[in-house]
Amino acid sequence: MKTLIIGEIINNNLSSGTLEILGKAKSLELDVQVVTVGSDENPSIGVDLCKQTYLKRQNNSLNLSKAATKISEIIKNEEINLILGSSTYMCRDLISFLSVDLNSSPVSNVIDFDVASGNVSTVNSINGGESLYKTKINSDQSLLLIRPKAFDPVEVNFNDDFETIDLDGSDLEVFDIFIEEKSGPQLEDSKVVISAGRGMVDKENLELIETLASKLNAAIGGTRAIVDAGWMPYSQQVGQTGKTVKPDVYIACGISGATQHQVGMKDSKFVIAINKDEEAPIFQLADLGIVGDTLSVIPKLNDNI
Amino acid sequence: MKIAVCAKQIPDPANEVTYSNGTIERPEEQVLDDTDRYGIEVALQLKEKFDAEVTIISMGPSGTQKGLQQALQMGADKAVFVDDESLKGANSLMTANVLSELAKSLSADIVIFGTESTDGYSGTVPQQVSRYLDLECISYVKAVEINDNVTLTRQTVEGSEKLNMPEKCVISVTAGGVEPRYPNFKDIMAAKSKPIEQVSISDLSINTTQNLEFIDIETVENSKSGEKITDEGEAYQEIVNKLKELKVI
Repeated sequence: MKTLIIGEIINNNLSSGTLEILGKAKSLELDVQVVTVGSDENPSIGVDLCKQTYLKRQNNSLNLSKAATKISEIIKNEEINLILGSSTYMCRDLISFLSVDLNSSPVSNVIDFDVASGNVSTVNSINGGESLYKTKINSDQSLLLIRPKAFDPVEVNFNDDFETIDLDGSDLEVFDIFIEEKSGPQLEDSKVVISAGRGMVDKENLELIETLASKLNAAIGGTRAIVDAGWMPYSQQVGQTGKTVKPDVYIACGISGATQHQVGMKDSKFVIAINKDEEAPIFQLADLGIVGDTLSVIPKLNDNI
Repeated sequence: MKIAVCAKQIPDPANEVTYSNGTIERPEEQVLDDTDRYGIEVALQLKEKFDAEVTIISMGPSGTQKGLQQALQMGADKAVFVDDESLKGANSLMTANVLSELAKSLSADIVIFGTESTDGYSGTVPQQVSRYLDLECISYVKAVEINDNVTLTRQTVEGSEKLNMPEKCVISVTAGGVEPRYPNFKDIMAAKSKPIEQVSISDLSINTTQNLEFIDIETVENSKSGEKITDEGEAYQEIVNKLKELKVI
């Protein structure tokens, strides 16, 4: 099946999400090409596995709708039947725009998919991962938004062999572009993640988590509740509307474990949960559960590690 | 300025979502999706500054209309909704098709959404509506500054960026972007006399199909039922031991 992956650039290379989807597409032996949308000057995003096209946007205006129009053209010219993108801010926008152009509703939050006799079928995780929802797509073009970490990334050698198409800017000028400083371990690839929830009671108590994180070389995450409360930036949110993590060890501190949160961390290899409430759903996912006050347990950990 | 804000009535999120034939079962009484409160708040702040008319647009079984009432209680002027059997289990594109037609019928300049519903969370409808309306979509807005100009701050993968809101556009607001207001008793009483109008689907131009076919729901055994220890002061030691065993320390 002729397949197009919408690629994204992180650190001058293709994002891990893009490489995960490419890995899956290769394992299904799909006839795949990548169209990457970004604004980097000289990215190294050519891959030795398939054709790569770079749609270069101006970063001083919001022109994703123009990028989508160009991708629609490519889809029609190349007779593409399957369009894949990672569930990121940019790909969600692009795939949504394309779905209108192609009159085919996309499937979001896909964790697995298959292609058999010309039909695409998908699997979604619902109810916080308690159930799997299976769908068959009955349209000429199938559009899938795939959750990060659903597949293993493919090993590639990056090169500079790709075609670049410059996109026009739009009237919507963008200013005050702020790039969050990324220091220390990052949520996506850290082997240890410590996350905080409402049980931390007060923003100031997050210092306890920071101390523990520096001792364990861990990345710090949070629930939607504390991100909404302004304790942490949105980029640190773990869950349905935030990031998906899959570390070796996940330590949930004062997190009840709403389904919205579980989706983002349930595939962690070893889960340690600390919560006052014995009935908290997080304990169903925990390999080691401590029923107790996070605010008294963490200081002791900090003193003894 | 005419503003349309999308509001979805959803089953009370305190209860687990149940499905029948792949479609979410909806009780008579549904509540306003908290996600939509952020979009409504932005609309109301715009109304205060620019004397705008704020209309709630909604699709789905209307039932007791509790969720729509809650949206009106916050301060929206009126609500229009589409409730049709043929839309049961509508996919995201069909939903966007209907909502964009509603926005068009109101001649809305600005159409505002939350980023994704709490029950379906496809997270694509705002962008799809913008494409139907041929307007730019300013997605993932996490801060709004209203002066003579309206400056919107968007969440991006690397951080954030700012834009001035154009005269016509579609906006999606992230949870936590603004602080939704709580209606007082007066607001609650006032909402009772605000108009709620049903629009027939036959009055709208809908050209989408149900291209997604439900196959099956399978339950996965999630429970790890690992060790559970009640802390009596020394439970931290269990964590330390485990971290050593896992070679984290």
